[in-house]
Amino acid sequence: MKRRDFLKGMAATGAAASVTGGLGVISKSAHAGDKIDFGQIKGLEVEVLSETSWFDNDIFKKNLMDYGGAMTNQYTIPWDWNNAGGYMTKITVYPLQGDPKIILMDTGWNNDWVDYIYDEKSDMGKLLTSGKVDTMVLSHWHLDHFWGIESTLKRSPKITMYAPKTYFPEDMKLLKGGKNVAKTKDGKEVVVNKNTVPHQGKLVLTDPKGDKGDGIYRLMPGVALKMYDVPILLRVRGENVMYFNVKDKGIVTVTGCCHPGILTLNAWARRNVKDYKPYGCYGGLHITLFETWDPKFDDIIKGVKAFQLKKVGCNHCTGWIWGEKASAAGVPIVKGTDKYKSYKRTSTVAKASNVFLTNGDTVVF
Amino acid sequence: MSKSPDSVERFNYLYGLINLAVVFCIVWVLWFLFMHADGVMKLYTPMYGFSLVAILLASVILLGKVLGWPADPGQALPAGKAIGQGILGVVLSLAIMYVVYFLVFWLFIGKLGVAYFSPLALVAGGGTGAEPWNAREWSSTAILYFAAAFLWWALVWDLAFGRWPWQKDSCWVVGWSRLFVVSFFSMVTFAVLFHPHVCMLFPEAQKMAGANPWWEVWASTKSAFFSLGVVLCTLFWVVFSDLFWEGRPWSWLERGGEANLAKGIVTFLGTLFLGLVLVYVFTNIFNAIWMEPYQGGQYTDGPDWRFIHMGEISGFCVLFAFIWKYYFNNWPNGLPLLLRAIVRSVLGVAGGLLIYWFYYSPLAVLVLGKVPGRAQPDDQPLVWTLLFLAVLLMQVQFFHNWPLRRAESQGK
Repeated sequence: MKRRDFLKGMAATGAAASVTGGLGVISKSAHAGDKIDFGQIKGLEVEVLSETSWFDNDIFKKNLMDYGGAMTNQYTIPWDWNNAGGYMTKITVYPLQGDPKIILMDTGWNNDWVDYIYDEKSDMGKLLTSGKVDTMVLSHWHLDHFWGIESTLKRSPKITMYAPKTYFPEDMKLLKGGKNVAKTKDGKEVVVNKNTVPHQGKLVLTDPKGDKGDGIYRLMPGVALKMYDVPILLRVRGENVMYFNVKDKGIVTVTGCCHPGILTLNAWARRNVKDYKPYGCYGGLHITLFETWDPKFDDIIKGVKAFQLKKVGCNHCTGWIWGEKASAAGVPIVKGTDKYKSYKRTSTVAKASNVFLTNGDTVVF
Repeated sequence: MSKSPDSVERFNYLYGLINLAVVFCIVWVLWFLFMHADGVMKLYTPMYGFSLVAILLASVILLGKVLGWPADPGQALPAGKAIGQGILGVVLSLAIMYVVYFLVFWLFIGKLGVAYFSPLALVAGGGTGAEPWNAREWSSTAILYFAAAFLWWALVWDLAFGRWPWQKDSCWVVGWSRLFVVSFFSMVTFAVLFHPHVCMLFPEAQKMAGANPWWEVWASTKSAFFSLGVVLCTLFWVVFSDLFWEGRPWSWLERGGEANLAKGIVTFLGTLFLGLVLVYVFTNIFNAIWMEPYQGGQYTDGPDWRFIHMGEISGFCVLFAFIWKYYFNNWPNGLPLLLRAIVRSVLGVAGGLLIYWFYYSPLAVLVLGKVPGRAQPDDQPLVWTLLFLAVLLMQVQFFHNWPLRRAESQGK
């Protein structure tokens, strides 16, 4: 069967056929008996602590342009500090039995902004200090997801951390308590990040093999983490993605930037997770972050529709443009609110359409 | 048994290897100066650097293959003359690159006609995302696609039509006539294969200016990476049949040693057909390795990436074909034509895969400063490949392959 037949088949035969028959053409990796069963959870709540990694897209792009573009090493660019924000997500997992567990995903960029979010716009600061949040998943080593690590560690230096094994020396230097310096064009040295609190907790460096060789790390029943070893712009490599199996609903993915692609995440689950049923996603989807477009972004809209997700919660590097176009095309985008306007800073690209779940918003799966 | 044109009494393969090593180092220095992520100019944004390199190669091809300058690059020259002519060729090709890229595209066509060829015009026009960074990437993409169309036509015209229909005219008439005809077909090709993609680069797709990408129904992507893949897979056969097969089977249609219309059409359609066959072969190989792609898939799951990747592999093979032809004397030369064509083709594919291995190995991470792994959307292996090809062709065409090939008076 050819790709177009496969896609047409998916569109025509509906969800049931999509996850069983029609998908067979790309599902030759795992037999039913070999598929992974990582349990179920009752529900999932995701709170957007901050999705505004930077506030002015044009300034960020100018920094990129002035210092060599998307393939440059992120540590060599003297970023405009006043433009820095950060990405952090609070994930509350409701297990089938027992108390909810809260997981922090990512730790932002600008410490001033992260502290503001932790202490004034959420309860994350208290949760970290009290030890009620004892696990952090670092999605990847990008500046806006990791460089604010000091804000987390000064509240919880012994937090257990899951981070991609594919780090570079500067990443580990920062994590262990250090600073990194970049040079401006006139040769002036600028500290681009610093951390005065070394990480003392358990550090799980993730790789694509997983904890049992089946590709995933089991954080708790119904919650899995998978590391995709993909090359990423700004000389970063590898991304951790979280999978949640919500009872009676299906698989939900939570991502930092989703560099591997939202469809890849679901394609993997479809091939490898027992009784896979697509349900939802939350996070950056890494599409039109630079307010540009490309024909392949239209492809992604078609693909997401074909995969028949029920709830698409997106923000951050997804790009407002993609969110609006996808929503107009019938993708079930979960709309956000105007809460973000009460924050001391907002993104210049925020739109009235609210197709982003933005700062302060919550989505339940 | 037809004698190979590359037959020589003695060829020093060690010198060829040393030559290759030196050229590799030159390319690396250029890469570090202009492209490397930790280098000096950092033009590998990636599309800006990509398009600049593509236009540079197009300029070299324009001089050598279209205008036919210098007249006989296969002729050995004394060192002084080779160096002088070589420097002139390099300066000329750089000048052409500058004029075409910045004056013709950015300031003339872009500002006065088709805005997407000029970041200046795009920024001036305003709108969502139209700031210098995006604008330069958009215009670079358009220029790159035009360069791809030009390279295809320049190379295929040289192989297919040769001097036809101006074989009785002076070299000036032939050169300029070929320039106009290649440019004309390049424009048509650009309009049909790439313009629909460029019109969709902007947050508001230019639907009134460009057709919906017609290849989507076959390719499961709207991206013109499909077209680029097909063009590069076709160029694989153009170069292989030109260099490794010594112009066969197309040259069998020649009359009196000159090309004609029939040969031209058959060669063009024949290489295009073989290119499509190669696309089919690559598609099945990729499906076996990464399973079926699907529309909207990213990285190795994306049909668009699969198409550009087959183009990249073809590019690696093309690069190796030039290396083999000019630095290793197109070995073997003593066998019957069919056998030597087969051996060279097998070596060409193996050599292309060797370059593939290099590009995706930790060595390239060290040398080229790339992130490990494949399919990163901003990783464009063709940039390094085209840069290497441009430097190689400069040596071959403008320096008459000096110092590897030297005039008899200086001794071989």
